[in-house]
Amino acid sequence: MRLSSLFLELAPLVSTFFPAIFSLFYEFGKKWQNFIISILAILTLFFAFIFFNENFSSSFGVHHFFDIRFNKISIFIGLLYCGSLFVGLFPLRHSQTISPTFLFYVANGLGIILANNLTTFFIFFVLQRIIPLKGFFREEVGGTYFFQHVLTGICFIALMLFAHQQGLLITPMSEMPSTFFTWPVLLLSFVIVYEAHGIFPFHSWVHDVVGKLPWYEFSAIFLCRAGVLIFAQLLLPSLKYDPDIFKLTLLGLSIFSSIYWSMRGILEFNLSKKTTYFYIAQASLLLTGMQADLTALKGSYLHMMVISISGTSLFSILSFVQQSFSFKRRSQYYGLAIHYPKLATLFCLFGFCMIGVSLGPSFVVEDLVITGLLEYHQYLGLGHVLATCLNGVLFFLLFTKVFLGPSPFKDKPLNMDMSLFEMFPYLMSLVILFCIGIMPSLFLERITW
Amino acid sequence: MIEKLFLAILITPFLWILLLAFTFFSRIKLNELILSEAVKYLSLLMTIFTASLLGVTFFHAPAFLLLDYPDWIQVGSYQFKFRFIVDLLGSTYAFLASALIGLIFRFSRNYLHREEGYFRFIFLLSIMLFGLMIISFARSLDILFAGWELVGTTSILLISYFYNKPQPVYHASKAIISYRLCDMGILAAAAWAHLYLHSHDFTVISRLLEHAHGGPGVVVIGLFIIWASLAKSGQLPMTSWFPTAMEGPTPSSAIFYGALSVHLGPFLLLRFSEYFSHFPVLLVIVGLIGFCSAIYASLVGRTRSDAKTMLAYATISQVGIIYIEIALGFTNFALFHIVTHASLRTYQFLRSSSLIQDFVENPAVEFNSSIERGSFFENHFSIEFKKKLYIHALHGFHLDFYTQKIINFLFWPFKAYIQLEEKWMESDTKLLKILLRRNR
Repeated sequence: MRLSSLFLELAPLVSTFFPAIFSLFYEFGKKWQNFIISILAILTLFFAFIFFNENFSSSFGVHHFFDIRFNKISIFIGLLYCGSLFVGLFPLRHSQTISPTFLFYVANGLGIILANNLTTFFIFFVLQRIIPLKGFFREEVGGTYFFQHVLTGICFIALMLFAHQQGLLITPMSEMPSTFFTWPVLLLSFVIVYEAHGIFPFHSWVHDVVGKLPWYEFSAIFLCRAGVLIFAQLLLPSLKYDPDIFKLTLLGLSIFSSIYWSMRGILEFNLSKKTTYFYIAQASLLLTGMQADLTALKGSYLHMMVISISGTSLFSILSFVQQSFSFKRRSQYYGLAIHYPKLATLFCLFGFCMIGVSLGPSFVVEDLVITGLLEYHQYLGLGHVLATCLNGVLFFLLFTKVFLGPSPFKDKPLNMDMSLFEMFPYLMSLVILFCIGIMPSLFLERITW
Repeated sequence: MIEKLFLAILITPFLWILLLAFTFFSRIKLNELILSEAVKYLSLLMTIFTASLLGVTFFHAPAFLLLDYPDWIQVGSYQFKFRFIVDLLGSTYAFLASALIGLIFRFSRNYLHREEGYFRFIFLLSIMLFGLMIISFARSLDILFAGWELVGTTSILLISYFYNKPQPVYHASKAIISYRLCDMGILAAAAWAHLYLHSHDFTVISRLLEHAHGGPGVVVIGLFIIWASLAKSGQLPMTSWFPTAMEGPTPSSAIFYGALSVHLGPFLLLRFSEYFSHFPVLLVIVGLIGFCSAIYASLVGRTRSDAKTMLAYATISQVGIIYIEIALGFTNFALFHIVTHASLRTYQFLRSSSLIQDFVENPAVEFNSSIERGSFFENHFSIEFKKKLYIHALHGFHLDFYTQKIINFLFWPFKAYIQLEEKWMESDTKLLKILLRRNR
């Protein structure tokens, strides 16, 4: 079956942007969120269809201004983006109220993932960051978020000025001569990528977002950072050109960042912050593998898949549970396993998929990333081991806090689990994740760029 | 034939776990009787398989079988292969594991009768069995780590078996931290072995050492291995979590902290015994750790009043002695000690729950109270010294206190930075407010 490439390339953006704009003027109520979930489902199928359709690659562009590319890796990330948001939102369709602005996040996220041109990237990048500002300005909070993003915006414009003479396309940047990658270019890209990922020392904006946005909006913001990774991979020429000290600093910072977030999570009492820090600590490790070498790079793409699916599922489970139980009530333990035995098991399994427990996919990821890192620098490898260890501790502490211990909600009924139908997306995701863990080669072979 | 037997040993528990997972999520209610019957036949089958393998390896010892399976992962020049070794050490441990777990399955049929978490208990113990089979036959550090993690995870989940009480959950958290810190050792050792010797294969590491240029990197592998072995065995300085881990049901305490999990440390050291023979200094460290742990646990154990905690300290003490045996090069004797000690402790742990009741209420049970305590080397110490020693032992030689101090010290820079960051964020928000109000 052959479809017009123009249709294919514009379909994801059109199908999300237009309803998003429409939603600002018309109120659809409950039907609206079913519509959003349907769009996510259709987009998941759409990306899956293209991903499994061999040799599909094209680019749609308006010279020097707007350029969208479809290659194996951007389609793969698009599939993960829509698929994981669908998995997270489907079980909540009766309980959660999804705001209309959510589609803006999705649309801009897809824009970031598919952008092939610095200006296109910049447009979606800035648009997505502007959305939460409306709420922040109203409540007069989010100062760090605002100033750090202004700084990144300035850095981005400066980078575009540097890159202007070489052309603004992202794809050929990986083929550019080493003379292009001067210190200013490297530093600017470093600020953009690290700030976008919430990596130390540009991480403080994350605190402003945590707890103030609903989890699905936060997830949509963070998942599209995978798109930034493409940018990072293509723009940061760490595999070929960059000076050793620069690469060492970048790797060191992303590992330190993961340690930092894990420590913060361990020290944190607030549950939503704890969960978010766990999620970001994992995301920080992505960049480590991205820059080490080709072995670690493959591991990182697999890791991205794991974080997207497992991370959103963890958020989704917590969100479902929060419908009946408020975590605002301070308690050492919430003991929810007695109320949600199956969800507790699912939460535990999704967490295991992220922290490197064997049979889970991140066991393979850890193996690849650590091997790749060691080839480059042995002490960084050790740092990565420490980061994954702390991450594991943080997850267990999170799990024990939410699901174990005596339940302070004595008046609530036992066994309030979801129905099998509602749990179906989680179960399917788990099957996929464990298949990756048991037969990683099947998936690793498909990840090409 | 041996290979098929080996595959059956590895695949049977895996399929069983899949079956249990399927029944859990598909909401098929498994009757307790059916479950306990099924588990009985599974453990019987596993015991027969492992006993057969032990028989074969025993008669062919010291010969062993190396099994290589096609690449599990291949990325560029990097390959991850499933490599296993079927030898006397592995098959002995596998037999011990299946036999004792079978025993525990049988015991828990009555002990956990009508318990709400019976299914969970069986499920977790089955995962542990699978993990132990992987550890027993693993030929490289990364495969061993896979099993190691499974055993650790199930151990933690069983400590918090009574999850609606705060104490078990708190103690499970303590165990998690100790486990994860030491598990780092295996990963780091694998990484160092890969870097300096270009292999994690136990069978070739000692051969590769002859061609390696020495240096600290090669010795560090051993240090990481020793570190990795400490948490599971409860040896110093990772002792404090061990006695508190007895919060789980008695059968799980017996199998984890009396029999199998606790001996994984010595098992790991035995796997690396050829490597350690090249570095006497590492053997001295192993011996010293064992010696200190044995003395420490023996002294502290005497001040405890409940049966399970006393048994926990007695176990640490015996495992300390096994460490000394390994350090002295008595590897076969250490293996023999592991088997006998694991069997005895399983019995003692299982007996502990009914012992007190028998002591108080059952006149048919006779207890030998003629064993005199404190009449040997204790006579050489003054009463004052003994009093002081008792007080220190009662406080566990302040091990928890100093551990807490070290943790606080390590977290101090983070706490200071967090405070600084919060102040900085407040000033950012103030600035934003000023900007917004001016614009309005």
